[in-house]
Amino acid sequence: MWIERKALAAEIPAAAALDTRQLCELLASLGFPVDGVASREGTDVLDVDITANRGDAMSHRGMAREVAAKLRQPLAPLAPPPVAEGAPQVPVRLESPACPLYATALLSLGTGGTPADAQAFLRALDASAKGLPAVDASNELLHRYGHPTHAFDADRIQGAVSVRWAISGEKLVTLDGVTRTLLAQDLVIADEAGPIALAGVMGGDGTKVTEATRRVLLESAWFDPKTVRATARRHSLHTDASHRFGRGADPAMATVARDLLVDRLRTWAGATLEGAWTAGALPAHASSVTLSEAMLVRVAGEPLTLAEAAEALTRLGCVVKAGSDTLTVQPPTWRHDMAIPDDLAEEVLRLRGYEHIPSVLPPLEGPPQRLSPDYRLRQALARRLAHLGFHQTVTYGFISPEADAAFAAPDNAPEGRTLVNPLGQEYSVLRGTLLSSLKDAAEQNLRQGAREVRLFEVAPTYISGPKGPGERFTLGLAWGGTQGGEDYLSPARPVREADLRGIARDLGLAALPEVRALGEGLFGFEVPVADLPRPGERIVPAFRPFSRFPSVERDLSLLVDLGQPYEALAAAMRAALPAEVLQDLRCVDVFRHKSLPEGRQAWLMRLRFQADRTLVGSEVDGWMASALAAAEALGAKIRA
Amino acid sequence: MDHLLPAEILEADRAFPVALAACADLDALLRLKGAYVGREGSHAARLMDLLKAAPKEQKRDLGAAINGLKQGWEEGLKARQTELEAAKKNLNALASSWDPALPPPVPARGALHPLNRLMDRLVEVFRPLGFHVEEGPEVETEAHNFDGLNIPEDHPAKASSDTFYLAAHPELLLRTHTSPVQVRTLLRVAPDLQKLGGIRFLAPGRVYRKDEIDPTHSPMFHQVEGMLVGHDIGMQHLKGTLEYALRALFGPHTEIRLRPSYFPFVEPGCEVDVSCPLCDAKGCRVCKGSGWVEILGAGLLHPNVLKYAGIDPEEWSGWAFGMGVERMAMMLSQTPDLRLFFENDQRFLGAMGGLD
Ligand SMILES: [Zn+2]
Repeated sequence: MWIERKALAAEIPAAAALDTRQLCELLASLGFPVDGVASREGTDVLDVDITANRGDAMSHRGMAREVAAKLRQPLAPLAPPPVAEGAPQVPVRLESPACPLYATALLSLGTGGTPADAQAFLRALDASAKGLPAVDASNELLHRYGHPTHAFDADRIQGAVSVRWAISGEKLVTLDGVTRTLLAQDLVIADEAGPIALAGVMGGDGTKVTEATRRVLLESAWFDPKTVRATARRHSLHTDASHRFGRGADPAMATVARDLLVDRLRTWAGATLEGAWTAGALPAHASSVTLSEAMLVRVAGEPLTLAEAAEALTRLGCVVKAGSDTLTVQPPTWRHDMAIPDDLAEEVLRLRGYEHIPSVLPPLEGPPQRLSPDYRLRQALARRLAHLGFHQTVTYGFISPEADAAFAAPDNAPEGRTLVNPLGQEYSVLRGTLLSSLKDAAEQNLRQGAREVRLFEVAPTYISGPKGPGERFTLGLAWGGTQGGEDYLSPARPVREADLRGIARDLGLAALPEVRALGEGLFGFEVPVADLPRPGERIVPAFRPFSRFPSVERDLSLLVDLGQPYEALAAAMRAALPAEVLQDLRCVDVFRHKSLPEGRQAWLMRLRFQADRTLVGSEVDGWMASALAAAEALGAKIRA
Repeated sequence: MDHLLPAEILEADRAFPVALAACADLDALLRLKGAYVGREGSHAARLMDLLKAAPKEQKRDLGAAINGLKQGWEEGLKARQTELEAAKKNLNALASSWDPALPPPVPARGALHPLNRLMDRLVEVFRPLGFHVEEGPEVETEAHNFDGLNIPEDHPAKASSDTFYLAAHPELLLRTHTSPVQVRTLLRVAPDLQKLGGIRFLAPGRVYRKDEIDPTHSPMFHQVEGMLVGHDIGMQHLKGTLEYALRALFGPHTEIRLRPSYFPFVEPGCEVDVSCPLCDAKGCRVCKGSGWVEILGAGLLHPNVLKYAGIDPEEWSGWAFGMGVERMAMMLSQTPDLRLFFENDQRFLGAMGGLD
């Protein structure tokens, strides 16, 4: 909201002594940071950020109240010449509790226009001056004092005025020229022909003030914040008035604002008052709140006294009654955010300045808890893959239905994972796979000239279920391009499927995941993080005795068919040997050459045996014979 | 045409492949080359002499035969030479791989994502104070995302213009902040709170808001939430903890500043500024000359948040904070465009993420 320095100083004269920078700092310390300063109409105008709970501060007067309380300086008096009320010239019926109070006046306009200084004030706030005194005065009052008012062309109102709920389907053309179809939850001002304004939001086009207007009917009311918010949202009609009524206007200002408006129309436009009257009464005051010393001291973190608190709250306009160890506080009519003792404690601290809050480490009462094994596993996994040369990616959790269908499990129906209001088709499905996102990122890297791309992501994938999508942390990995060739020891070669299987094995996956070809020489796999071996709960695993007797290593050179899967052969050999003595079995060399029999290759298998005793040569010979027999059963032959 | 050629030449041609294969090195090959196609005294030179002396009517056929032979030898020699050179090079390479004067091989270099790295660092900073990590789902209920956090039923953030909802499950949404983890955690620990003596944790994670993608907005981003519940917790404890943590993060001379602000789930609420880590608070472009940068929002837990979880606000109190990870990463790194964090260019990741 724009605050003009001169106009602020008109409400709190002491503010004139502050320069713009000091004023900005003061407002920020009160919870109103200044986002920017503009220079308009020969004065500095501050763009003040006002939080949603502080509708009372959305005016120069409101901001001045804050500055006055902080500086302990008086506000300028606000005393318009009182308007004598009389009998209603137009009957006003309040038919809904959402409008308990409606002050009005009927005036005949004379001659004159909006004064230059009022027009300059409006321009400084980036608001337009229409040159119509009734419109400009209402607007000027809103910015200066925060209370929205409205002027109707009285000669275009038919019969009595009522404030009532709309009849569903009723139409109203609002000031912006849009025809609104109303709902029964919309509060309207209506005459005998139908709605003439959306209460607290916007006036109607049919009764608006124009150059031709001779008589005006003024409205200065109080509307229920919730009702105004709902109507503004329903019709996407967010106005200066709806912002203020929606956050809670000051009901005590309704009559004052009416009097101010009458006064301006008399002086600006030579208007004659034909009558002023009020329907309804002030809404019930918010109940008082009790602040205990214990609560105050707990929140503040230092021994503040109730007397200090009472003084601060009084400066803010509260009526404070002191008890023995509590204060009973009646918030001012303009504040709707002082409902609980915590709110009062905040006000005391705020006025005092948050810079005075001491800095103390909390008592660390509960014992520290460990990081969960799942979380630690994911952290360790990311580090490990980064050390293996992979780059961690962060991609969006929603993708296009096509991208999802390319890799998500067929039984994972996308309907259960689809957003009703996505940013677009391409972001509409909570992904059942990481591979599409990784493929996109990898292709993008290759297009940008990367010779090799190694990416991984650890993120949830979503699984449709009857109660909504379940989430499963998943590791996805993509690798492609040219591997090696960056130094003189490793020759350049394309990345192969087997490279990914090597990574999967290295991560300790019991069952190797399916490696998918992602196109453009890219490969990828994804696997639930839960399938990876979890770190033990113990800091150091339990001791497992190991043999100190020497191990025996034997090699076995086998001729096997080309195409023989290694795992199958290794498993058969392992199965043929006593598990308690076989320490290790691996293939240490592969030899393929035309000198070997057609369709065969040679594998050099290395076996290591160990037991809790010294092994005898003959028993090892026996095991080697068993291993060979198992290999032969799969078609292997010993290589002479 | 072979009848035109001398027998010893035909014999030499037959022996050529074996001789070629027998050449174990380039020197041997050079000698063989001299013997077959050398300028003088070679089989080829002798054939040229023969051609000159041949009768005119034989010249054509003889020439073709000689060319055929010569071509075969030359091709064989050339192929073998390529082979031997490659072998020699390989041998050289193997030999030189042990040379300590040469540069060492370069292992592949990966990187953590800068956003993850920053979140990890925040966890690391709070661990010494006994904070652990709590996590929650990204698909949340309105109750956890809004109601449990004292967010009014008609709050604009609930609108489908701000929050993503699921088509098949109208009551489910993508969480708009990490705060529902507060609600879930409080609900879970409430029965045991007395025994635990309170709780304190961080909740890092991904959140979603319906913002169009541009240099400063993304529909998905990250937050880190922090929370502590105990006895007699006040603003001084919030300030003390944040001062401690932000000094651990930015350095021992870091100062913090609290300013009043408003969030429905805290009371009192505040924004927290930190002395600009980029210019040591001297004033720079990032802090707009003020020496301060806004870093997070925080406050004491609103009693309604505790009550929702079944915790008595008369006995228990606490604080919470929430910070935007992207915002902080952009500020610290001076990255000009938020989209870079989601493009995953290896050059960006390698330079920004690194390993630690
Ligand atoms: Zn700076």
